[in-house]
Amino acid sequence: MTQDQALASAFPNAKPARQTFFLTKQQLDAARQESGVDFREQLVIRYATPAGFAYFDSHRVRTLPETVMIVVTPDGKVARVEILSFDEPTDYFPKRRWLDQLLGRHLDADLSLKGAVRPISGASLTGQAIVNATRKVLALHHVLAGVAPK
Amino acid sequence: MVRRLMVLLSAMLIASPSFAQSAQDLEQRLKELQAKLSAIDEMKREIDILTQEIETLKSGATKKAVEADQAQYGMGAAASKVYRTDAGVSIGGYGEFAYDNPRHDIARADLLRGVLYTGYKFSPRVLFNSELEVEHGTTENKGGDGAEGGAVGLEFAYLDYLIRPEANVRAGVMLMPVGLINEQHEPTAYFGVHRPLVEDAIIPTTWSEMGAGIFGDKGALTYRAYVTTGLDSSRFESESGIHEGKQSGASAKAEDLAIVARADWHPFEGTMFGGSIYNGGSGQGARTEDGQRIKGRVRLAEVHADSKFRGASLRALFARGSIGDAALINERNGLEGDESIGKSFGGWYLEGGYDLASRANISITPYVRYERLDTQRSVPAGFERNPENNQRIFTAGFAFKPISQTVVKIDWQRAKNQAHTGDNRWNIGLGYIF
Repeated sequence: MTQDQALASAFPNAKPARQTFFLTKQQLDAARQESGVDFREQLVIRYATPAGFAYFDSHRVRTLPETVMIVVTPDGKVARVEILSFDEPTDYFPKRRWLDQLLGRHLDADLSLKGAVRPISGASLTGQAIVNATRKVLALHHVLAGVAPK
Repeated sequence: MVRRLMVLLSAMLIASPSFAQSAQDLEQRLKELQAKLSAIDEMKREIDILTQEIETLKSGATKKAVEADQAQYGMGAAASKVYRTDAGVSIGGYGEFAYDNPRHDIARADLLRGVLYTGYKFSPRVLFNSELEVEHGTTENKGGDGAEGGAVGLEFAYLDYLIRPEANVRAGVMLMPVGLINEQHEPTAYFGVHRPLVEDAIIPTTWSEMGAGIFGDKGALTYRAYVTTGLDSSRFESESGIHEGKQSGASAKAEDLAIVARADWHPFEGTMFGGSIYNGGSGQGARTEDGQRIKGRVRLAEVHADSKFRGASLRALFARGSIGDAALINERNGLEGDESIGKSFGGWYLEGGYDLASRANISITPYVRYERLDTQRSVPAGFERNPENNQRIFTAGFAFKPISQTVVKIDWQRAKNQAHTGDNRWNIGLGYIF
């Protein structure tokens, strides 16, 4: 699925507005602390509609990358998680049932493989990568609340 | 009068050279300001282009869908498709080091195994996977004096043809879908410096055979079913049972084949109940001295459960097996008395652990495991059981993962057997995966 297809699927009745943010060091530090995820990118791009915001995150699973779309509701809950590309062997691909565990979650201690999110049997790195990406996106969403895009 | 004077003075001011100079300056400054504003607009346009291109690079969106207009095999999200246009090589691996300090034997430090996975994605539907393993450091290590010799081998090498989630085809040298460790045997995936002995002497991990079969999942059920080469009973022993009978596609004898099937039920994520059955001949065309054909049918069945939630992990496995024509195999292999292979064999284990670390990125997990096994639950008439093969092993230790891909384990094992010759030992292990 391409990004455009993913956005059309997530927001069938709206044309998302592309928003660009350049995080300050303080904003980046706040997002890292809040998410518990170590990342350094200060360029954040999201697609906004009245119904929610779509973020795309690319990261390494084991040795190869995956790209995930995470849609966040205006009140900061996970509305949707879709995997756009996954380069690891298919044995490590997460099932829909596992991804559905993330829906409706806020950024809290339960959003963790040691919390309410059950691990993927035989693919712990995949599960960890997606949980980290979700935590990172929710933290960025929180940090960017009230910030005008460039 | 005053008004006339003001008008006259204003006219004189406007007409004066100094005022004309200020107006010119202002106009010049306005022009400069407009130029700067244009430059800023242009910079914004260029930044926008750059962010778009960075976004494209990060998401890999330059890759085109191979079959964008067809539903592709996807084991996960309903609306997601796995795609690549370019040939894709994937590389991974794992390794384990162990230090064992038995109470009544010499201590040993061993590079248990170093493994390299290589895979290749020909297309979204055709994949190749392989595992190359080096055991015990080097093949120059010939073993002996209680030590195992080094070995290099392909643990598995197979092609996958992905058709649909419910049914796909696999062929090559495949890991047998039996037990909890055989298919997922990386050091970060199980407790203990050493794998459960039940999944070594009863289920001959790591067990691979050449063959072909199908696999898939439907809802909460996953399955695998293969036809493979059978074991080779010429290498069966009393202590290790069927373990040495694995052929692994190494000029494997294929007179006798085997079938193996496994199903797992995942009632919810992180929890699995399942089992497998194996049935195959192991005679491989062999005959006794008086010409009697050895069929050596091996039957092995196991059930297992595995659950992980909120830092807690629990596992249980129960396995039973039998070897047909055990007396004939003993005769062919020159085994007498209590050297006999088991006519029946079996074992079980139970283990649990709890991650004490609240931070998601590290793990500190104490664990315990109890297992019982006997490779000679029964032996053919005229032979004897060796009480040393009836074992009970208790393991307790800690596993520390500073990151999820590496692990340090320390444990203590108390091994008892019916002959009262068991030994206790301390073990330290180091493992990694990538």
